[in-house]
Amino acid sequence: MTRNILAPLTLGLVLLFLIGPFIIIVAASFSAGETLAFPPQGFSFKWIAKVFTVESFRQSFGTSLFLAIGGTLAALILGIPAAYAMSRYRLPGAETVRFMVSLPIVVPGIVVGLALLRYFVIPAGVPILLALFLAHTALILPYAVRVVSASLANLRSDMEEAAVILGASRIGAFVRVVLPNIRGGILAAFILGFVTSFNQVPVSLFLSGPGVRTLPIDMLGYMEIVFDPSIAALSSLLAFLSIGIVLLAERFLGFSRYV
Amino acid sequence: MFHNRAEAYALALPAAVFAAIVFLVPVGLLLSEGLHGPGGWSLSAYVQFFSEPLNQKIFLRTLKLGLMVTATAAVIGYATAYAIVSMPAGTKGRMIGLVVLPMMISPVARTYAWIVILGRTGIVNEALKFVGLTDAPIRFLFTETAVFLGLLQLFLPLMIISLVSALENLPKDAVPAARILGANWLQVFVKIILPLTREGLIVGGTLVFTGSLTAYITPAILGGSKVLMLETLLYQQVTVASNFPAASVIAFLLIAMSFSANILLRRIATARSGK
Repeated sequence: MTRNILAPLTLGLVLLFLIGPFIIIVAASFSAGETLAFPPQGFSFKWIAKVFTVESFRQSFGTSLFLAIGGTLAALILGIPAAYAMSRYRLPGAETVRFMVSLPIVVPGIVVGLALLRYFVIPAGVPILLALFLAHTALILPYAVRVVSASLANLRSDMEEAAVILGASRIGAFVRVVLPNIRGGILAAFILGFVTSFNQVPVSLFLSGPGVRTLPIDMLGYMEIVFDPSIAALSSLLAFLSIGIVLLAERFLGFSRYV
Repeated sequence: MFHNRAEAYALALPAAVFAAIVFLVPVGLLLSEGLHGPGGWSLSAYVQFFSEPLNQKIFLRTLKLGLMVTATAAVIGYATAYAIVSMPAGTKGRMIGLVVLPMMISPVARTYAWIVILGRTGIVNEALKFVGLTDAPIRFLFTETAVFLGLLQLFLPLMIISLVSALENLPKDAVPAARILGANWLQVFVKIILPLTREGLIVGGTLVFTGSLTAYITPAILGGSKVLMLETLLYQQVTVASNFPAASVIAFLLIAMSFSANILLRRIATARSGK
């Protein structure tokens, strides 16, 4: 039975290919050397420490954090009612709404970024940060609608119908019956949206100006000038941050049920 | 099911209108820019774009790399997904976790790692020198191979995940039954596994293909200006050449390819639910 050896061997090689680069980055962040190399020269925390002293990283981290949190919240505020309307109402043109909302998945990010720069930012004087916020919100919207729809589909609609019959207002029924039941789905959508926005590059590529840059764009710019292990250190810190968030969510919510 | 139409629209329209204003309007304007000639509407931007041999080459290279990455991901994906599916439940969950793990990591970091592996003093070159295969470092960066590897690493998890869920729905006895009846592994794959997991393959394939077409960081870092792809060409046309008609043509090509892949996917999905 040759395949009994072949299958685990394939899996092992594939995992090495997928995770190896990550291990290299983590190892390189603890290097004591001046350039990025593997195996790392010596061991030190100096590159990890350096990340926190670079002013532009601090600034762009703040921008990215604002976009990820603000964009995801805005996407949920728009997306939850839309998902609710599509799952609980007879909505003529639901397909059109679904199509509109899922556009951001189909249109490549770089095209959206350029279009916003050329028709919003330059002629209409829309501030770059606002354009970034709009773009990130739109980008997260499809995920928000999809995840919330999935969790609405798992919730029987007779509960809120019963609440309405018993005299609750439609809004009251939504807030007191539906919302508590789809809490997990909303949090899952939030995490998914946050990670998507935080790692997003193409949309933000054209939308950067003095003092306004997302962290990944800042990292790309830094890499072109300096080739030291600080980008590796920053990458590992970010990676552990997002893995940590996802693991916590999985532990407390069973995140994977919703995605 | 509620029937109040006004309420339904009040709930659904803000999201749709928002997407229309932020996406449809500016992107529509950008696309129309490529259809204006000196004397009104014309396709001259398209004619001009495709009359440039370099642009033709970049267009074909983008398609070629997209197809190669998708095909390789499918082959590796089937082998890996099959190995994962035949594991006991606990190990299976952990393996899926490991496959998904890289997707949590910033693509900038994931691409950056390849510089350490493929660079002049990178792991591969040092290993080759150590074994005595080369004296001078071989250039791996800024080649199609580097872009191919980077894209494959980025999108392979999507294919594996799609195929794992497809293979899990395969009736447990189908493969052993075919084997007992005398089919060899190739026949089992072509006659049993492939038809029964076709949808998973198509979902995974669409995700990998559109992902590869629209990735920016990987071709930018690992291909540079030596191995331009449509995305990096678009960036260059805007920032270096300020050639907006050309940028509009590239934008159209990217959207058209991404749309066709998605429509194909949707058609297959509805054909399935209709039967």
